[in-house]
Amino acid sequence: MHRRTARLLAATTVLGLTLTACGGGGGGGGGEAQDAARTARGPITVWYSNNEQEVAWGKAMVASWNSAHADQQVTGQEIPAGKSSEEVIGAAITAGTAPCLVFNTAPSAVGQFQRQGGLVNLASFPDGSSYITDRSGDVAKQYQSSDGGFYQLPWKSNPVMIFYNKDLFKKAGLDPDNPQLATYDQFLDAARKIKSSGAAKYAINPAPTSEFYQSQFDFIPLYSAESGGKQIVADGKATFNDPQGIAVANFWKTIYAEGLAGKEAVQGDAFASKVAAMSIVGPWAVAVYKGKVNWGAVPVPTSTGMPIGDIHTFSDAKNIGLFSACKNQGTAWDVLKFATSAEQDSALLTKTGQMPIRKDLSSTYADYFTKNPSYKQFGDLASRTVEVPGGANTVEMLQTLRDAYTKSVISGQGDVTQTFNEAADKVTSLAGRG
Amino acid sequence: MATSTTAPAAVAPPVREPRSRTRRGTRSNPLGWIFSAPYLVFIAVVFAYPLGFAVYMSFHDYFFTAPGVTVPKPFIGLENYTAALVDPAVRQSFVNVAVFLVINVPLTVVVSLVLASLLDRVAHARAFLRVTFYLPYLTSSVAIVGVWLFLFSSGGIVNRVLGPLAPDPSWLVNERWAMPSIALFVTWKGLGFYILLYLAGLQNVSKDLYEAAATDGASRWQSFVNVTVPALRPATVLVLILSIITGANLFTEPYLLTGGGGPNGASSSPVLVMYQNGIQQGQPGYAAAIGVLLVIGTLILSYLSNRFAGGRDR
Amino acid sequence: MTTTQQTPAAGRTTAPARRRASRRAVVPALVGGLTLGIGAVVFLFPFYYMVVGSLQREPDQTVAGAFPHPSNLTLSNYVTIDARLDLVRSVLNSGIFAAGVIICTVVFGALVGYALAVLQWRGRGGVFALALLVQVVPFQLLIIPLYVLIARSYGLADNYLGMILPFAINSTAVIIFRQYFLQLPQAMFEAARIDGASELQLLTKIALPLIRPALVTVVLLTFIGPWNEFLWPFLITKRADLQPLAVALANYLSNVANSTANPFGALLAGAVVLVLPVVVLFAFFQRQFVNADLSSGVKE
Repeated sequence: MHRRTARLLAATTVLGLTLTACGGGGGGGGGEAQDAARTARGPITVWYSNNEQEVAWGKAMVASWNSAHADQQVTGQEIPAGKSSEEVIGAAITAGTAPCLVFNTAPSAVGQFQRQGGLVNLASFPDGSSYITDRSGDVAKQYQSSDGGFYQLPWKSNPVMIFYNKDLFKKAGLDPDNPQLATYDQFLDAARKIKSSGAAKYAINPAPTSEFYQSQFDFIPLYSAESGGKQIVADGKATFNDPQGIAVANFWKTIYAEGLAGKEAVQGDAFASKVAAMSIVGPWAVAVYKGKVNWGAVPVPTSTGMPIGDIHTFSDAKNIGLFSACKNQGTAWDVLKFATSAEQDSALLTKTGQMPIRKDLSSTYADYFTKNPSYKQFGDLASRTVEVPGGANTVEMLQTLRDAYTKSVISGQGDVTQTFNEAADKVTSLAGRG
Repeated sequence: MATSTTAPAAVAPPVREPRSRTRRGTRSNPLGWIFSAPYLVFIAVVFAYPLGFAVYMSFHDYFFTAPGVTVPKPFIGLENYTAALVDPAVRQSFVNVAVFLVINVPLTVVVSLVLASLLDRVAHARAFLRVTFYLPYLTSSVAIVGVWLFLFSSGGIVNRVLGPLAPDPSWLVNERWAMPSIALFVTWKGLGFYILLYLAGLQNVSKDLYEAAATDGASRWQSFVNVTVPALRPATVLVLILSIITGANLFTEPYLLTGGGGPNGASSSPVLVMYQNGIQQGQPGYAAAIGVLLVIGTLILSYLSNRFAGGRDR
Repeated sequence: MTTTQQTPAAGRTTAPARRRASRRAVVPALVGGLTLGIGAVVFLFPFYYMVVGSLQREPDQTVAGAFPHPSNLTLSNYVTIDARLDLVRSVLNSGIFAAGVIICTVVFGALVGYALAVLQWRGRGGVFALALLVQVVPFQLLIIPLYVLIARSYGLADNYLGMILPFAINSTAVIIFRQYFLQLPQAMFEAARIDGASELQLLTKIALPLIRPALVTVVLLTFIGPWNEFLWPFLITKRADLQPLAVALANYLSNVANSTANPFGALLAGAVVLVLPVVVLFAFFQRQFVNADLSSGVKE
């Protein structure tokens, strides 16, 4: 019976291979079609993120475009966000079913999409590069591909800060209005007090799990600040094992070793449920915690206690990609510019509290920041955000860093420096490949 | 795979005509192929083609591209396989699955056999018990994982009941306990199906055998060991093989219960590693190689379990 | 492969005799009953806990939290889900998805199962081995080539057909059909053949009615696959109005639930919504299952 199964497996595979060979021949020769599509106009489909505020913004934006362009209607759809939206987009590219614009493209995925041939280089539009750099200023450079093109439009960022719960701080005997959290020592002292006073189970609770993107919310923000704005890969070489990186890792290691943060994932939001007294979050949190937590915000700590004006932080950006499957790319590019105009950016800021990636954000929307002072610090930080490295291997680099981090920092196994050096070697070789 | 449903030969000789005629090929009913045709077409489309594609990818530095885009996808021979075999993450995932199988498979066979034979003889609350036992099997992992997280978290009710006996760190974040916890969860979840298989098998066991055993003064335990267990051997082989196969394909549980195979990969599985490499990191060729290795391993295991548990059926 | 099959002995013991025999063993019966009872608790408790947790205003992880407390009860977790999802629509989508799979599986699966168990033909063993083999290969290995095939080559993205196709014929169901058909006495088929019945008539008029319990099992097993399936419909459907319940709920859980006041309650309420239809359906078919046992004498 099993000998037969083995033979059958071979036969089935050969049959499949034959089918593969027959089916795989197609394709090729899309260059001219792409050029024609570049200027074509007509109806297009766009996807936006599915959280409540962004859906509201997306619907309003689409409606306002459609009312002025009867011949170039836009159909808007929510995409499944959450863990797997990059996988959905990747699969849609392969199948040629991607929409024209995705208003939720993660920078960490852009390199792969680009390698798949799924994205249109926005710099190939006559006003492409100039539009992006005029809107975003210097920050735009981080979103440029190695060939100098723009396969994403830097759209909005969520510069992360430390949120703290004022009530729990008071309970722990800490100053709720002016907490001392700038240096690592201060931060650790405060954390120990929170824990020993029983004010909360944990001082802070970043997700301790192994998904590649989790480092974006513990290691990377602190490293961005500590290193004065370095990416974890610079000039094709991993940087995170430099003295600043090791200092950040050792800081977190102390947190975990002393039980100031949990090694177990908390269902739901640890900060909202008051399991943790602090959290690392972006401006989206302002609306979410309104009325639930009496919070304050400070920049992430550094070893020397940099003032906020010098702090760099992780961007947590979501960008816009224009996909090559789009037939009416002329319209798509116009919609893209419409959706990132000063007026729409203002609507986005008001509705979602997320920061449009614009130079002079604070001065452009000065009114908004005066009326909503809680967003002011975020607006200031938005000009000093750090992105994950580009290229087709971003996810694998982040996974490598994450594996080293969970092992040596969260679990406290082995030597941090050695583990980080090994991970850095691997990331450097990945950067070389990409 | 043993497919006979022979009851102990001593009791009643087979009444049915022997099938050996077909084996010699004196008569082959063309309707067999006709009846099977839709299924075979289905298999060719949704199974053979993607499988062939996967094997093809495993020998190439493959990359999925948009229609009309050509990226070189060079043939690289066994490179993906050699890389997979030395990758510590892949190795660990195979070791993890071995741990999983060592716990899950015997537990599944024993518990489902015992519960099925008890259920077969029970007079009261039969319907209720059936619904109860099948419930976890019918439920999606996505739905039920939340409850388990709630039950087994460090402040969860299980640890509260256990008090000082609770492991620290808690079950799913403890390197030693993460995989056994997952194995327990999967056993619990799958038992209903295997109980169903055993119950079907039990309908085939002649009640005369029990009568005969009872007349000989055998206790209920003795008749269970001497009558039920041997009579259910074919069902046991099926249970064994199916539980090995599901175990080898473990994915959803580590993905959802332990946040992607944590802590430190202590609960990762080959399919999870495959998913990370192939779908998240864009290396489908490498992932396919891991998948092919896994399929070969599963086939060997199923063959062995058929060889040893199926025994005389061959 | 030996496929000898024995018909059950003709003289089956009558029920009273069986009862008399087992009455001798009161203690083992008690042990058995106790084992079943403990089993039932172990199986049921997480579900009970799920319902209780979904009704809690504030998550309560203490032992006392396992018992509902009037001051901590609320339906708001369900209200939030209902407000956010089009439940009717997604249940309908799940229903269409599952029904398509069930129909294909019952029609084509029964055909193969019959061919494998009753008909004598060369290639029979090979096809059966194929049905087993299909289960050995992890779906994650096939999913991207499959997606490309169905979405790109067949253009079936955002389409019920595309959703159904990879699951259309459940191979486990084929194996179960075969197993049950094997239990029917060959002599019966021979007799009907002599009477001039075609194989298709044999299948629909004799074999299928006789294995009604198998049919129920197959329908149920086939149902839960598509009903609980997440990854495939998630990939193949982008339009929210086509998404089945499992996908809609998973989206809800991964985004919205975290920002609600009681994320655990929201999560558990979502789980209840997903589980409930299965339980209702199963409880409904349960009677058939019991009947199946009583009438397992079909073979005689």
